[in-house]
Amino acid sequence: MHLTDHVTDIQLNEYLDHESSERVQIDAHLSICDECTVRLTALQTLFAEIESLPELELTHTLAARFTPTPSLPVAQLPRWLTLTATLQAVLALIAFIVAAPFITKLLPMVQMPSLPDIFLQLQAQWTAWLAALSVFQLPTLPQIPAIELPSLVVALTLAGVSMLWLVGNGLLLRNQR
Amino acid sequence: MTAPTDRDLIQHTRRGANDAFGELITRYQASVFNVCYRMLHERGEAEDLAQETFMRAYDRLHTFDLEREFGPWIRRVAANLCLNHLEAQKVTAPLDEERDADESARPEKQVEVKERGAQVRNALASLPPHYRAVVELRHYQELSYDEIAVELNIPLSDVKSHLFRARKILAEQLHAPD
Repeated sequence: MHLTDHVTDIQLNEYLDHESSERVQIDAHLSICDECTVRLTALQTLFAEIESLPELELTHTLAARFTPTPSLPVAQLPRWLTLTATLQAVLALIAFIVAAPFITKLLPMVQMPSLPDIFLQLQAQWTAWLAALSVFQLPTLPQIPAIELPSLVVALTLAGVSMLWLVGNGLLLRNQR
Repeated sequence: MTAPTDRDLIQHTRRGANDAFGELITRYQASVFNVCYRMLHERGEAEDLAQETFMRAYDRLHTFDLEREFGPWIRRVAANLCLNHLEAQKVTAPLDEERDADESARPEKQVEVKERGAQVRNALASLPPHYRAVVELRHYQELSYDEIAVELNIPLSDVKSHLFRARKILAEQLHAPD
């Protein structure tokens, strides 16, 4: 590129994009050419306008599905209550240690029924229940007098009840719509 | 205590801590949404595509090179996703009326900024999808010509010509006499 050659639009674009390999020559030409300088300024203004576009704000976060939902706070016992519970546990342990020799001494003296004895007792109880059941008799009910109804009355009653059921269901279904 | 780096958060996510990825989204959601909005010009679609971008990133996170920076990478993913979306649609959606103004600015200045912002967005919206993509990657993500060519999988000559033509259209639209 010669010093007097005008800079083309493509060259100006590349120059402003810092992609030109003829930067020094273009700079030299611009220093002597008002026409090209005006074109360069116009292009710079366009760049500034494009790049001055304001950023918009989002109306809601896009991170919702990756943000854990806040869990309910775990109820914490007051510190004094925790200490009381610990103290109780320590006291219970001391009491057990103190009582252990007495327990080992007294335990053999306690009369406990053996497992076969318990089993025999349960079996005897069960046999007694079965014996009582075998002689059980239901109380006799009083005789109900037979009601004689004409077949026409029975048919009419059944028809009436059926109609009533149909109408009732119809009303219920209509209210559900 | 210092905040975890992006790299830390990616490693935590890879180990199964999804809330770490939530933190990454919180860091980059605004910039990713703005990439999508510049490309698509419709808020609802831009939000959907921004969400889709993060979902794609989450799926590909195990292959992400930790030596790279997450922010520029996710914004490039967003631009590519929007380009594919536009290519699939092949229609220009009606523009969203959005507030481009700084809330704290003076009312008259606010109106001026809003109007100019709307003009620039309108002009961007009039560009074909590939032109929009090169403008996005060059002006807003500051990628070099070579990087754009790699990102969009097009020849370097196409990057230059797309960018040149896109700017010509933008200049005509923005500086046209009323």
